[in-house]
Amino acid sequence: MRFKGRAILAGTIKGEALVTHSGFNTLASFYSCICSQTTEAICSDSGNRELYGRNMTDKIICLPKTIGSTSGGALWQRIADMGIAPKAMLFSEQIDSIAAGGLIVADIWMKRRIYTIDRLGNEFLRYVKNGDIIKIEEDGTVVIL
Amino acid sequence: MINFANLKINLTQEEQDILHGKQGQTMQKIMETLVLYGEALNAEKLVEIEGNGHLVICWPIPGISPPMQMLDEFVDCGLRTRFPFTLDPEAPLDFENLHLKGWQEQVLREIYKDQEQYEQKMLQLGLRDKFAFTCNPYLPEVGNAPERGTVLAWSESACVIFANSVLGARTNRNGAIIDLLSNIAGKTPLTGLLTDEGRRATWLIQVATSKLPFPSLLGAAIGQKVLAGVPFIVGLDRYLGPRLQGYTIDYLHEMGAACATFGAVGLYHVENITPEARDYGRGLLAEGYETFLIDDQTIRELQASYPVLWADKRAKPKKCLIGCPHLSLRQIYWWVHQIKDALVSKGKNQLSVPTIIFSARQVIEKFRENSEAHEQLKRAGVTFSATCPLALFDKDISADDAIVTNSNKLRAYSTARFFTDEELIEIIVTGEIEG
Repeated sequence: MRFKGRAILAGTIKGEALVTHSGFNTLASFYSCICSQTTEAICSDSGNRELYGRNMTDKIICLPKTIGSTSGGALWQRIADMGIAPKAMLFSEQIDSIAAGGLIVADIWMKRRIYTIDRLGNEFLRYVKNGDIIKIEEDGTVVIL
Repeated sequence: MINFANLKINLTQEEQDILHGKQGQTMQKIMETLVLYGEALNAEKLVEIEGNGHLVICWPIPGISPPMQMLDEFVDCGLRTRFPFTLDPEAPLDFENLHLKGWQEQVLREIYKDQEQYEQKMLQLGLRDKFAFTCNPYLPEVGNAPERGTVLAWSESACVIFANSVLGARTNRNGAIIDLLSNIAGKTPLTGLLTDEGRRATWLIQVATSKLPFPSLLGAAIGQKVLAGVPFIVGLDRYLGPRLQGYTIDYLHEMGAACATFGAVGLYHVENITPEARDYGRGLLAEGYETFLIDDQTIRELQASYPVLWADKRAKPKKCLIGCPHLSLRQIYWWVHQIKDALVSKGKNQLSVPTIIFSARQVIEKFRENSEAHEQLKRAGVTFSATCPLALFDKDISADDAIVTNSNKLRAYSTARFFTDEELIEIIVTGEIEG
């Protein structure tokens, strides 16, 4: 199954899907790992029943948008620097400002790319399941293998 | 590599020159970041920032603020924000007010060991003064209250939503680091909440409760539902009245903070109360808006759904934190009266649960001028702090403490247990949790 979105931070990679249908609270999800300097990013957002306790490192996170604190903007460069970031962020909706700023800062200032595609549509989020292998292409195409 | 030639955003000659390095490499990277940020958000162009900033990046914690090397780079290049800025609350180093154990203080000393150096850099970059730390900067005692229509690039979700909704200023929800870069460049993308179209309401929220809902429960219910939408809230003026003053401002501040925590809401309108709702009424509703009704059951079920995250779920409360976001002077006096009355009614002199009230340093100093009220609270077991209650959960140092709060925002980011004001007063006076 193929979906076409807009590549914001483009690239070609393959990885495993981790899906949330509710807003992804960046600060709540990563706060525990940056505080405790963990080697894996275990989701600490107790409000997100789909992701809480799951390992997000090297996954392809499929989500509608990010939500919550504007502190979330700085987290992306930090987790990328720690080597515990997801491989990619696939937004079904238009990317929100906190995620856009944070992911672009990580890319330009830390030279750490977390591949980012938005506007994949609601059907994408209905179709994709945890553990699906996803291929991302340079032009914003997402293939669920 | 990013091909800037393919971007849709319109840039001025000056912006293009900066992008090509004419003001040095650091400004080039700043402009690259802002241009890509604007492009991602579908901005037509960048516009000039018109007023003082408020930024979330108050502590030198990696992942919460810019790395120190980045700040060094800006300072070395002589960069500074176009307008002065205020920052979120002070670091949690006022141990005399925080009721911490020795090992907890030691952990915090270690986490915040670079705070002084960090603040020096912030002063060099444009921090208004060394006491300009709070998440309630528009209080009269602090004085960072932008006028209606002012274009800003603020961060701190609770401040962004208040500046937009209650003050009528215009800022998008900027994240940490982008906030500083924007204010250094003096530019922000023209998109979203900066535009008339982006300020139109995409949701009609009908508050049909039998009494005024607790603000941070109402805010959470709205935020969870509308996510990044703009809610137009009807039904609150029945309880709050039409005037945007006093208690209404405090209520909207707390409601907005929760809205922004549980969603990505940067603006709300309240019928007959907030400035744009008063001017344009339901004409603010966008075509195809959605509707959501909130009644007593919505609020009750939401509160009941919050898990108890204490290590010992049946523990007695050991500490109470009030003031996330920071309280106004009016709210502090409200607590003075509530605590006094509750103690009298129980025939007690002291609270059973040590309580910390968080507010801006300037507000606390103003309150201390009333020595009688201050002494009264001190004797009851209340201390005051200008830091952030969330900082007491750094590195899980309070994970084993049974902490209670009236802040839904604090609950979302910590193991603190949430209660409404009414419930909380009973708990801190008796030391018992019913049910």
